[in-house]
Amino acid sequence: MGDALVALVTGAAGGVGGAAARRLAADGHRVAVNDIAQEGRLRELAEEIGGVPVPGDIADPEATAAIVAEANKTLGPVQVLVANAADMAMSPFLEADPARWWRQVEVNLSGHFRLIQAVIGGMRALGHGRIIVIASGWGVIGHPNATAYAASKSGLIALTKGLGRELGPDGILANAIAPAFIDTEQLLVDAADAGISLEEMRQRYRDLIPVGQLAMTDDIAAAISFLASPGASGFVGQVLQPTGGVTRTRA
Amino acid sequence: MTDVPVAVITGAASGIGAACARLLRAAGWRTAGLDLNDSDTDLPVRLDVTDVGRVRAAVDAAADRFGRLDLMVTAAGYYEEGIDVAEISRAQWDRMLAVILGGTVNAFQAALPHLLRRGTGGLIAISSELALAGSATDLHYVAAKGAVLGLVKSLALEVAGTGIRVNAVAPGPTDTPLLAPESLWREPGYLATLPLRRLVTPEEVARTVYYLATEGVMYCGEVLSPNAGAVI
Repeated sequence: MGDALVALVTGAAGGVGGAAARRLAADGHRVAVNDIAQEGRLRELAEEIGGVPVPGDIADPEATAAIVAEANKTLGPVQVLVANAADMAMSPFLEADPARWWRQVEVNLSGHFRLIQAVIGGMRALGHGRIIVIASGWGVIGHPNATAYAASKSGLIALTKGLGRELGPDGILANAIAPAFIDTEQLLVDAADAGISLEEMRQRYRDLIPVGQLAMTDDIAAAISFLASPGASGFVGQVLQPTGGVTRTRA
Repeated sequence: MTDVPVAVITGAASGIGAACARLLRAAGWRTAGLDLNDSDTDLPVRLDVTDVGRVRAAVDAAADRFGRLDLMVTAAGYYEEGIDVAEISRAQWDRMLAVILGGTVNAFQAALPHLLRRGTGGLIAISSELALAGSATDLHYVAAKGAVLGLVKSLALEVAGTGIRVNAVAPGPTDTPLLAPESLWREPGYLATLPLRRLVTPEEVARTVYYLATEGVMYCGEVLSPNAGAVI
């Protein structure tokens, strides 16, 4: 295990973000946790892991600056950014409400663009940093009725690759993780939309995954832990795909 | 049945294979090293990975000696550069494919029955970022490393339902004895083009292998590439 680092995790009230914050804390890092709402849950998470809650809407340019400033003030300069917060709204392309379409791009892509801008100064001053972008398998292979989400996540992948090239020489390593089906609360939404039970939803997804199992949030947190670790110092501009084979096999 | 995990590593006597063996041993694993030379492992076996009978016997011996098998890492290989495609002889082509592709096939076929018996475990091939990007004047090496990726992706799907995971690590130019002192990949002019401005270390490759082996249950036929930014 390497030195204790200061990490900032967005979307930490959700499944993947919460698991990431817990894992990074267990790895010995000091963690600032961000989410837009559910402040009670965010505060509880922060207390559980001995971290700091930094709530705010990352789509709001003023909020992003405040989030980073608060993390820097309480824990020190952010050395690991886990860009995880995401908005998703399924809709056929021609029926998409423009406001809902653009909100996904604003949160997922533009919000993290500004957040990354806000942390780079501190990372440059330290001469090292890790930017870990949570993209999506849909950003790799696309998905019907998810054009905004897929576009925003594809944008994040391209952003990661560009940042890898641009910031690598400064010792700041940008990489992405593109998961597919994860066992999170989103499955409850998907099950309700499909009019089936949660367990039926899980099985429907398992049937689409070559390895026949859903990713657990801890699997994604493990990938984040790895990319934050000294052992991943040769990775830059890469996209890890712990999808169980989904992104190479789905028609 | 023992609680101590067991790995067989081909090419364990030097470079990336040796780094994998060192890291796994430090993490408490038992290791067997298959190499032309003696390796610093719990069970060093001197052999040529193109000898299917000897590879099978060595893997069986390791599983027998240590009571189980969890992981096969295929790092055995060699490199030849600076050869124009028209100059690559039939013998050079055949030997490269026999060692890099054939050696991987031999090792995977020897290990798979042991993994299938337990219904868990990993096969990890060391490929190369050159197989992702292509490269001039080492075409036989690149073709062999690319063929390994096809093998990995297909075998991963073939055994996906069994709990066994097959993946590849495709490192960037790595600072090992395979790269001659005068290698193109050591030239300052080349290194300056890499975002990280340096070669990858064998330890960085070993760390990637270890992550895949211990926490990589959702990787199925994937290619992880610690490459200093050589291929993005």
